[in-house]
Amino acid sequence: MRITTFFLSITVATLITLALNVAWSQEFKPSKQIEAVVHTGPGGGSDLLARAIAELLQKEKLISQRMQVVNKPGGGPAVAMSYLAEKKGETHTIGFFTGVWVTNPLTTVEATVTVKDLTPIVRLVLEPAVIAVKADSPHKTMKDFIEAAKKSPNQLRQSGGTVTSRDNLIRLLIQKATGAQWTFISFPSGGERISNLLGGHVQIMVIEPQEAGEQIRAGNMRVIAALTEKRLAALPNVPTIKEQGIDIPLIPQARGVLAPPAASREVVQYWEGIFDRFSKSPSWQQYLEQNQFEDGYLKGPPLSKFLDDLTVQMRDVLKEAGAKVVR
Amino acid sequence: MDAFGNLLLGFSVALTPVNLFWCLVGVVLGTVVGVLPGLGPAATIAMLLPLTLKMDHTTAIIALAGIFYGARYGGSTTSILLNIPGESSSVVTCLDGYQLARQGRAGAALGISAVASFVAGTVGVLGLMLIAPPLARFALRFAPPEYFALMVLGLTMVVFLAGNSMVKALLAMLVGLWIATIGTDLFTAESRFTFGQVKLLGGVDFVAATVGIFAIGEVLVNFESRAGAELFKLSKGLRNLFPTLQDLKDCRFAFLNGSVIGFFVGALPGAGATVASFLSYGLEKAVSRHPEKFGTGVIEGVAAPEGANNADAGGALVPLLTLGIPGGNTTAILLGGLILWGYRPGPLLIQEHPQLFWGLVASMYIGNVLLLILNLPLVPLFAQILRLPYYILYPLIVGISIVGVYSVNNSLFDVWMMGLFGLLGYLMRKLDFPAAALILGMVLGDALERALRQSLMMSQGDITILVTRPISGILLLIVAVILCLPAVRKVRSWRGEAIEREG
Repeated sequence: MRITTFFLSITVATLITLALNVAWSQEFKPSKQIEAVVHTGPGGGSDLLARAIAELLQKEKLISQRMQVVNKPGGGPAVAMSYLAEKKGETHTIGFFTGVWVTNPLTTVEATVTVKDLTPIVRLVLEPAVIAVKADSPHKTMKDFIEAAKKSPNQLRQSGGTVTSRDNLIRLLIQKATGAQWTFISFPSGGERISNLLGGHVQIMVIEPQEAGEQIRAGNMRVIAALTEKRLAALPNVPTIKEQGIDIPLIPQARGVLAPPAASREVVQYWEGIFDRFSKSPSWQQYLEQNQFEDGYLKGPPLSKFLDDLTVQMRDVLKEAGAKVVR
Repeated sequence: MDAFGNLLLGFSVALTPVNLFWCLVGVVLGTVVGVLPGLGPAATIAMLLPLTLKMDHTTAIIALAGIFYGARYGGSTTSILLNIPGESSSVVTCLDGYQLARQGRAGAALGISAVASFVAGTVGVLGLMLIAPPLARFALRFAPPEYFALMVLGLTMVVFLAGNSMVKALLAMLVGLWIATIGTDLFTAESRFTFGQVKLLGGVDFVAATVGIFAIGEVLVNFESRAGAELFKLSKGLRNLFPTLQDLKDCRFAFLNGSVIGFFVGALPGAGATVASFLSYGLEKAVSRHPEKFGTGVIEGVAAPEGANNADAGGALVPLLTLGIPGGNTTAILLGGLILWGYRPGPLLIQEHPQLFWGLVASMYIGNVLLLILNLPLVPLFAQILRLPYYILYPLIVGISIVGVYSVNNSLFDVWMMGLFGLLGYLMRKLDFPAAALILGMVLGDALERALRQSLMMSQGDITILVTRPISGILLLIVAVILCLPAVRKVRSWRGEAIEREG
């Protein structure tokens, strides 16, 4: 009896050890420097976010290895995406995606890699946007602007990014909802978009609240509508676009992390664990607040669904906008 | 507080031992980064940003800004010695700098570029201190039509880059303009001339093209014609290691020209140091008493563009510090840094954080002095590199070029592109096409096309928008005058000949 118990306990112990061993061998832990790929050059939005996250991960002691940001600019996100696709099987590489990773392959023949080909891990940020005018603009509300645009079609102007950027898609949606028409002018850098507004060469722009914040405080800029479901905490007096009677789908600017194609369950679980803890950390919460970002934490199947829905929504909006949709 | 009182505050901040030390670290790092092609100041600052989080913020921005303007200092070294443009803004420096080096005057060229950088850096700081807010307001009047006129003005510089044949120069420029169209169209997001290559979606990398055309092309030509022969005349003794008094005198106007153009162009968010350096080179040649010698190694041809690309660093900080608008990649990173440190960069920054702004301005004065002290003794040392025999020098040039081009995007594709452009550079030299005209087209093509299309969008297709606005009108008038100059000269010389014949 005793002996049986003894053997039994040994057997159990062995089994537990074995099980643990298996678990250990399966658990992924970075053993060398982590490569974080972004699609902008140094100083771009994605680059700054990736560098901030690399810094904060280290500060919160969540990763033991260094995270090195690698810039792969070119063709919007296309060069970065195809670089990640080539890294299939590489466990120490991640990438930072944005909404344009979804829209770009829809309109560009050469951009053969889609977000679904890669392995989405988490969504971290939702960037709200507002519509701004110059401080001395006669347009005090969205309605003023729309009416002015109806009175003289295509005489008013908006500065923004490419024709497939969120700025332009929002314009197209508002134009469709209201029947007003105005002109969209692309500028490659955010600096030029702002300086053309402040110089009075364009009348409105879509801008992130943090970027607009200082211009508002200095009395250079005024915000006439928030492109959000609820009013922004930092701009409580600015009504949302829906409050002003314009009902358009709000296109979220999402930012998050993904891995090369077909990343293993262990790698995904590792990063999910890290970002679970990271998204709750005080320094990340402070960073979100400073930049007036919304916490967009999402993972697993809901993230997959989000990306699918976004792809469908974007395809419709782009088609409606008259863009050539290739996939 | 007046500017003087503010500056005193700035110096009291910048002259503390800690800040002085980090200023030194910044400018030394900047010089090193500038010397090597590829790794630019933007990438360096981005890499070092995390290290600055624990530093005092003023100290941190002093160190990072030191990298920014220090890199402009160092950029000239490889351009002059090896015909490798260290930064895109030092392409123009190659034209006369490398020729000077071949004539045994590398020391003079390096020295004059250090002095020009110092003068321009100081002018840039003065400008930043005295006229930053009004200049930023003036720069806001630049809309697409004004940028278009500025870029056309830049393109007319081809008149001054042409060697023997204007037709060849124009052809080279057109090829450059075409190369600039390769990649993704900003407006429609469609791809042009990419032949299905993902790697061409971002366009042809500028560093790969310039290093290929200048450095690799030069090596190929020399390899064929001069293998075994002496490539460089070597200077004997100390006399030729530094610029002479006469050199400094010759460059009086170039210093001023480079500084002023560089500063103003730098303050425009849509232009850049490369445009500024081409413009100042063109102006220098236009007013020169011996324009025909440009491109064969004249000292002013080094001083003007070097001045311009240094003053640009001061100018680029104008929109950043007064409006919170970054002028380029490097200033965008500095902006990110300011946000990460908890500042709210924007129109109120100078008012609310005077110690930060004035400390930075004062540190730039000090940094410029440090750079001059650091760089002048290095000149004879660097010039020694030309004593190397060709069988060491050529592989060295090719090696530095490959590493440099690879490190820009970590892309082997870019290295192949460099090789391709090297062949192009070789052919152009053989057939006597001016390479600088091609580069000019490449630099300006993007901005020119963009500004034209933006202007036409603004005016609903009415092309008169380009000439009816005051600033663009004046700029285009200058263009017309420049284009007429050679014709006027020709008519005059015909007349002279006719009078001689009759008399």
